[in-house]
Amino acid sequence: MNASVSKSTGRSAAPRAVKLRLANVSKTFQNGTQTVEALAPLELEVKEGEYVVFFGPSGCGKSTLLNLIAGFEAPSAGEITLEGRPITRPGRDRLMMFQEHALFPWLSVIKNVMYGLKNEPQFRFRPRKQREAARSWLKMVHLEEFESALIHELSGGMKQRVALARALAPDPKVLLIDEPFPALDALVRGKLYGDLQDILTRTGKTIISVTHDSREAACLGDRVVVFTPRPGRIKKEIHVDLARPRDINDPKVAEYAGRIMAELEGQPDEKRAG
Amino acid sequence: MKSEQAKRPFLYVSFFYLLIFAVWQMLFSAGLIPDYLFPSPVQVGKRLWELGSDDYLLPSVKATLVRMAMGFSIAAAIGLGIGLLMGTSPIMNSCLKSLFLGLQTLPTAAWVPISLLLFGLSEQGIYFVIIMSSTPAVAIATSAGILHIPPLYLRAARTLGTRWYAMPVRVILPAALPAIMTGLKLGWTFGWHGAVSAELIKSTVGLGFLLNMGREMNDASQVIGIMLVTILFGLLLDRFLFGVIERRIRIRWGLEKKE
Ligand SMILES: Nc1ncnc2c1ncn2[C@@H]1O[C@H](COP(=O)(O)OP(=O)(O)OP(=O)(O)O)[C@@H](O)[C@H]1O
Ligand SMILES: [Mg+2]
Repeated sequence: MNASVSKSTGRSAAPRAVKLRLANVSKTFQNGTQTVEALAPLELEVKEGEYVVFFGPSGCGKSTLLNLIAGFEAPSAGEITLEGRPITRPGRDRLMMFQEHALFPWLSVIKNVMYGLKNEPQFRFRPRKQREAARSWLKMVHLEEFESALIHELSGGMKQRVALARALAPDPKVLLIDEPFPALDALVRGKLYGDLQDILTRTGKTIISVTHDSREAACLGDRVVVFTPRPGRIKKEIHVDLARPRDINDPKVAEYAGRIMAELEGQPDEKRAG
Repeated sequence: MKSEQAKRPFLYVSFFYLLIFAVWQMLFSAGLIPDYLFPSPVQVGKRLWELGSDDYLLPSVKATLVRMAMGFSIAAAIGLGIGLLMGTSPIMNSCLKSLFLGLQTLPTAAWVPISLLLFGLSEQGIYFVIIMSSTPAVAIATSAGILHIPPLYLRAARTLGTRWYAMPVRVILPAALPAIMTGLKLGWTFGWHGAVSAELIKSTVGLGFLLNMGREMNDASQVIGIMLVTILFGLLLDRFLFGVIERRIRIRWGLEKKE
């Protein structure tokens, strides 16, 4: 593997500050008499401008972890800090993109993108400025012609691109993406990966996304965190040192995908037994 | 099958009503029932024309509509407020739900006696009946609509930085609007029933008053004529005001397709 050789081609040239820190974080759900341990205590650091992918078997607690970071739920133990400050509730500094698009049908495309800007100090009560900013984000996802369309008039892929523009517009410190692409066909997904990497290199956003698809993980992630089955622990972290933009069909991406997949499949019970 | 009929609904509907009037006229001509009890369409039309030219009809239609507009606005505001409380607070919902469901099952005319006791023969009594008749429907529909909002919308709004005090205006009411509109339509219908019931007893102008006046004069033509006018206005408002708004909302929300 030539992973260490091509280090300079990744985005990790200079040492970067830690953006998000998870210290000893675990989550146990209590449903009546039944307790479900979703996440075993885990440590994780995400650096400024890093793209981290959570990869693991279904039900291992990936969405749970994302919900904890987003602030929808509180960890049972441990602490999550963003730039040193503990997370207590949802906020637009940690915007979440959901598996379904979650766009508001009562608003047009551009009004959806403007939605998060209304709470931004520099945009508050300035509809013209909001509209201009929203327009430029729509341009970035190639949907500027659809600004006055209604949500249900768009295709699935277009909806996800609007959702991406809406999530990026308020300039979150961390963007959290929970499997937003599985419902789309390969061609549309390929384009979305392109858009996403394009935005990534342009804005230097810190992103965490969840996926079931090892190729998607290898294509998008600077680092892929592989989880064990429930209760989820970090089994392995794989650094993907490939230049961007990466093509989903690139054999090098496929090679990394193979390693990621092997990590997931290899001796699934070894950690649980230990 | 449906598209076939949808092509020329106007023709079918006109024919249907012509048929009704024809049967009515035939029954009348058969002379089974004396004409002071069972007037012909022509007699009814003539009586309505007289009421119109004697300046009874228009002021009464107007009076009922104005009472409805005011009473219903108040009822809608109260119903929306209570519905919002019920929809956002589980405690409020469990307390108020059965109460409002109960009130909704109460026939609207049952509010008239208590309004007579409370307000005598005054205008306020009519407003009282309208408000009590339509508020429960609006409140129940609003709370049900809010409780059925996909949680995803609320989570999306929160992650986009919406604070709790901004949620009702920015997310909760817009997301529940299709259901709320259905509730407003139903509330209007109940209010309309209540208004006419109250006017039967309490008023010197209004559709209910003209109905009662017809009864006192033993004028079946007037009673049937005013009933037809009441139906006509109820239908017009339901179809062409509330119906149109409701449909536009449902299309915008993606719940119904444009034809
Ligand atoms: N609110 C909850 N109450 C009880 N158990 C829960 C709750 N949310 C999640 N769980 C449990 O926690 C575990 C992890 O769930 P989670 O949704 O995080 O998995 P996931 O890794 O995102 O799976 P998938 O890849 O299928 O989306 C599951 O076993 C689930 O049943
Ligand atoms: Mg999940």
